[in-house]
Amino acid sequence: MRKYLTRRAVYAAVTLLGVSLSIFVILRVLPGDPLVAILGVEGHAQMTPADRERIMADLGLSDPLPVQYVRWLGDIASGQLGKSFFRGDTVAELILHRGPISAEIGVLSVIISWLVGLPVGILSAFKPNSVPDGIARTLSVLFIAIPGFWLGMLIVLALLFWFGYKAPIIIVHVWQDPWQNLQIVIGPAIVLGLAQGAYIARMSRSCLLEVISEDFVRTARAKGLREGFVVMRHALPNALLPVITISGVLLGFVLGGSVAVEQAFGVPGLGRALVAAVIERDIIVVQNLVLLYAVIFVAVNVLVDLSYAWLDPRIRYG
Amino acid sequence: MAMEALGTAGASPAIRGLSTMRALFRELVRFSRRNTLAAIGGLVGLFIIFVALAAPLLAPRDPLKADFRRMNKPPDAQSLLGTDQVGRDTLSRVIYGARTSLFVAFSAVILGTTVGSLWGVACGYLRGRFDLYSQRIMEILQSFPDLILAMAISMAIGTGLQAVIFAIAITRIPFGGRVIRSVALSVREMPYVEAGRASGASAMRIMALHVLPQCIAPYLVLATTHLGVAIVIEAALGFLGVGVPPPTPTWGNMLADSITALVPPWWLAFFPGLAITVTVLAFNLLGDGIRDTLDPRLSPAFLRMMAGGRRG
Repeated sequence: MRKYLTRRAVYAAVTLLGVSLSIFVILRVLPGDPLVAILGVEGHAQMTPADRERIMADLGLSDPLPVQYVRWLGDIASGQLGKSFFRGDTVAELILHRGPISAEIGVLSVIISWLVGLPVGILSAFKPNSVPDGIARTLSVLFIAIPGFWLGMLIVLALLFWFGYKAPIIIVHVWQDPWQNLQIVIGPAIVLGLAQGAYIARMSRSCLLEVISEDFVRTARAKGLREGFVVMRHALPNALLPVITISGVLLGFVLGGSVAVEQAFGVPGLGRALVAAVIERDIIVVQNLVLLYAVIFVAVNVLVDLSYAWLDPRIRYG
Repeated sequence: MAMEALGTAGASPAIRGLSTMRALFRELVRFSRRNTLAAIGGLVGLFIIFVALAAPLLAPRDPLKADFRRMNKPPDAQSLLGTDQVGRDTLSRVIYGARTSLFVAFSAVILGTTVGSLWGVACGYLRGRFDLYSQRIMEILQSFPDLILAMAISMAIGTGLQAVIFAIAITRIPFGGRVIRSVALSVREMPYVEAGRASGASAMRIMALHVLPQCIAPYLVLATTHLGVAIVIEAALGFLGVGVPPPTPTWGNMLADSITALVPPWWLAFFPGLAITVTVLAFNLLGDGIRDTLDPRLSPAFLRMMAGGRRG
């Protein structure tokens, strides 16, 4: 187990190094001149060479690219992550200020997805092709297709029209005022949770159906165990592995989707900070936030793999 | 179908064409009977493609023409789906939006899946160091959430139609790469491939003539499954203001317009989103059906396992 763990961690670290390098290449090397990326082509053309040099030096962009890359890694190691081009605060402060809200939305949405998806999947698998199963499958197909940000917009509009209600659009942390905080995060969490829940329901249904047709389940039934007991105790644990995996894969969907959903709800989370930085072309902020999203994605998938190994001895010793 | 082809081998090309058409039609009917939902998805998909192609004929008004006497009007007889903040006709913009959306989605998926698949064939067949490094690169690509990678790329190369297509295409590469690689890995062990190698065929020739044809079914499955995803990414980019730049009508841009208003007009928030949902739903249903028919092995479970469940 320890060997597996170390190997997995080393792989993840190498991948993340590659991730940071590719972010750097995408944002610094591809646009050619970073000032073009910051100011756009028209803005760049209007500057005098002296202006250009001064700004480049100010932003620390006049050093050779490899030096800049190493300095970035140093910034990451120091925990400061560099400064925004347009504001005084460091990216680390930005993340500390806005990150908790986004993290809450993410965690809450995963919890909702399991609370909704798993029972629905189990109910579906109990009586395949029955009416409840049909309804459950239709709904899951529907929720997979509906873009979360649109659903979010509709919810915001409906609340506004019918109840004149608008969720607070300032940052309120859970330790400051839990009730206000819940009003901010619950909408995005539900929207993201339902979409993931649809996948989880689908996955758990098909995995359960597969397991239920196996010999050991037939044996359990032949022993005279109640059907509910057979499904919950014998079949379910074996069907859960792929569902856990898909939950990890879905996290990529949550991280990306939350950016758009935060925008729809007007939640001042990390996703909106990223969008604002992309629109302002604040490269330092963008590169660090993109890296952060990738780090979270990779880390969670490592955790998923570890839980997989923990649950399934064939992987641990294989 | 094979029988038909044999039976009409000596007939004139016209008759042969007719009979292949008939066989194709019969195949389609059988497919629809077995997968009603997929058939409906296919029909709706065809309808949306038709709308996109015939947009200039179908749209009642010019989608870019502002009319300052009719701003923010709810749906009425004159403009069936209402007008936006500068008086442009929502129905016309939704119809033209289909054009942009489908064009971006189809181009991006075809580009990304093709590059990924060719890469995957090379990885699976050649194995060795090339495969090892390629897998690491794909792993890196898959470490980014789709939408965020697309945002970063389109920011770097500028926000135009081509930039958006390119950005979405890149996020599709690893999916093609992983699935097709696994197909190539199993095909390369087949006796007929070995026979090809034994008779001295070059790696290029074997890949092109023997491995590639085996990848067509999974390629089609992949491409259809990813159409829906590509449409959503395109819409999300537009919604966030980093997609195809205005005034080009896209569904995402229209949603972005509606949200900036102080009191968002419901028709502007509702119809473009409905268009996205119906389109994605149609292509998803079609994709599921094609997958079930062509390759049961490519169940969602399998695809997602390949897509990144197991790393390292």
